[in-house]
Amino acid sequence: MSLLVEIESLGMGPRPLLLNTKLSIASGEVLTVMGESGCGKSTLLSAIAGLSILHLRFMGRVTLNDRPLDALPTSARRIGLLFQDDLLFPHMSVRENLLFAVPPGTKRARAESADAALAELGFEAMAHRSPLTLSGGQRARVSLMRTLLAEPHAVLLDEPFSKLDASLREHFRHWVFERIRARALPALLVTHDAADAYDATRIWRWPDLPAMNPLDSQPS
Amino acid sequence: MTLSKKSGRVGTARKAALSWAVVPIALIVPVGGALVALVGFALMQAANATAWRALFEAHWLLQSVVMTLWTGLAATLCSWSVCAWLLSRAFGSVWWPALVRRLGTLLALPHAGFAIGFVFLVAPSGWILRAISPWLTGFNQPPHVASSQDEFGLGLIAVLTLKEVPFLLWCAASQLQRDDAGALLLKQTHAASSLGYSSTKSFWTVVWPQLRLRLRWPLFAVLSYNLTVVDAALIAGPSTPATMSVRAWQWLQDAAEEANAIGAVAAWSLAFVVALATCAAALWLCAKRDYAQDGDRGSERWASIFYSIVRALWCFICAMYLVVFAITLIGSASGLWPFPAFVPQSLSWQAWRSVGSSAHTLWLTLGLGVASAGIALVWCVAWLECAPAKWDARARPLLCLPLLLPSVLWVTGLHRFTLSLHISGHAIGLLVAHVLVVLPYVIIALAPAYQKFDARFSHISYSLGKSHALYLLKVKWPVLRAALLSAFAVGFAVSVAQFLPTLTIGEGRFETVTSQAVTLASGGQRSLTAAYAALQWLLPALMFMLAAWLGAPRWMSR
Repeated sequence: MSLLVEIESLGMGPRPLLLNTKLSIASGEVLTVMGESGCGKSTLLSAIAGLSILHLRFMGRVTLNDRPLDALPTSARRIGLLFQDDLLFPHMSVRENLLFAVPPGTKRARAESADAALAELGFEAMAHRSPLTLSGGQRARVSLMRTLLAEPHAVLLDEPFSKLDASLREHFRHWVFERIRARALPALLVTHDAADAYDATRIWRWPDLPAMNPLDSQPS
Repeated sequence: MTLSKKSGRVGTARKAALSWAVVPIALIVPVGGALVALVGFALMQAANATAWRALFEAHWLLQSVVMTLWTGLAATLCSWSVCAWLLSRAFGSVWWPALVRRLGTLLALPHAGFAIGFVFLVAPSGWILRAISPWLTGFNQPPHVASSQDEFGLGLIAVLTLKEVPFLLWCAASQLQRDDAGALLLKQTHAASSLGYSSTKSFWTVVWPQLRLRLRWPLFAVLSYNLTVVDAALIAGPSTPATMSVRAWQWLQDAAEEANAIGAVAAWSLAFVVALATCAAALWLCAKRDYAQDGDRGSERWASIFYSIVRALWCFICAMYLVVFAITLIGSASGLWPFPAFVPQSLSWQAWRSVGSSAHTLWLTLGLGVASAGIALVWCVAWLECAPAKWDARARPLLCLPLLLPSVLWVTGLHRFTLSLHISGHAIGLLVAHVLVVLPYVIIALAPAYQKFDARFSHISYSLGKSHALYLLKVKWPVLRAALLSAFAVGFAVSVAQFLPTLTIGEGRFETVTSQAVTLASGGQRSLTAAYAALQWLLPALMFMLAAWLGAPRWMSR
């Protein structure tokens, strides 16, 4: 299992963000992309996941397990996303949020997967509560569990630790990486904080573009 | 000594608070008093056992109730579904901003004017049949079918649906633009699609369940309007059986006191029907739905085809407005226009000349609109400026009473109220009636901008040594200019569209563009009807354009 991202150019509106870059991530590996806020890290993740975002321009190729993804919509790419915000659906209970992610199957098998995830979280008692009644740290856990329950083949993490308290952060980070490693998924983490990096040898620093002024860059 | 000084200070503070509280009290007492009195008068009319008995013995009652429920519920369900369907494709897509920009124009048009144009389109001698006659239908004469005021109420349902879809979309747009609600919902759909859900399925499982609940008040307003509408139902609705609101209105127009009493209790029973329907709608909205049940991800296979269909549907709605407007304008200038001809054989300015010769109608419409919108705007500004937030929240349901009650009911109450003050049938009574109807719309249009205004501007202004009056005149109101002007335009449009208050409180002595258009619609003067219907369009549209022009920002962004 591996994720290969070849970028010819990536931009937002008239602004170019990244040119001629190749990122390759093997299974079980976490590549940390470091860059200042506003440099386009989130845009990169949107391009890999194939999200339809206004003004996003992406030229390049995304390959997951030797399968080209470029023509596929987000829903068919099998790439899990973990955002800064937990994005739990407020109109569903905690258990329904998890059940929502379980792939189609018999009603019983799906319920068992959701309950197993609840048990792994230790949140059985909160199953039928609104996600809004949970603490930030609890919500972050449910959110990751939901992402993993959909059985993705790769995971993209968009600064998922930045909104947590310092005390929670360390613990949650370990918890997340442990689960990603156990499933042997290729993972891409973007952050501006070096402390969040998983493996110091797999850090890729966002390059400063030679021409940040849109007027200077000529579309080729 | 310190003590007395302290108490002195408290005394002045109390005095200041008292004089400050005088303004909102002076504002709310006359308006709130009038509204309470009006409901009281309407209630007094409900206590009439003979009228209730006569109503229940009327053979048309059941038919009317069924027709009211059928047209009102069908139109509400249609506009609700079309709105949801349009949103499912437009939200987050490239054409959403363009769609939102067009809504204002569609909203400015009064229901009655639209209904008149719509009837010109679908009537037996209407544009649609002319377009396909005689080559397709073989008709050389208008056929004898009631295609405009059909007995099933389909025309009325179509008019109401076409008018309410832009309103619901506009409400949805204002919900989605509020704070970060729209951005958060968009991110949630991204989360759902990363879990494997198709774009359509993500909308229906994630966005719509949340948005639906936030659109409950607009839904109730649409439902209540559709069940109680009078002017559009008189024009495009069925006559046998007529809807409850039309029946009640006809009884209230009767010269006999007993007939009026039956009309009043019919209006009360209509209010009861609305309350029941609203409760049912609320239960339906709040019913628990299981979105995670089968984990079905939906399919992207037909996505592009559905996208095209939904876009075509929106284009169709916009095209209907354009065609209705075109037929109204052409109809107003038509001379001789025998049946299968698609365009008139000759043009004639007869109708417009006749509008010009009764210019007092136009002047009265303009004067009433400007005066009532102006008074309502000044009242609302003063109210929002002086009344504490708690008072405003408490007073809002009372102020919005004219929106909640069926129009026939509150108009009867208003009529009794103006009669008791001996101003019914006078210009001043008419103005009072218009101000009371316009007020809730103006405050709803103005309040969001007013409440969003950053209070720190005042701190800066005071710290620069400016008085409160100077701050209002030089800082706050200029910044809010666009919102103030558009609230004024909304008030003007509402006043122009009024039919029931003008006729009832005016006691038939005053004619406005709308009362003329609705009265003429049942007669045979096609071009004159069309001219007044076109004016119903043009007056609010011109006012909105004027407001947009005057309210344009000093520096255009980009």
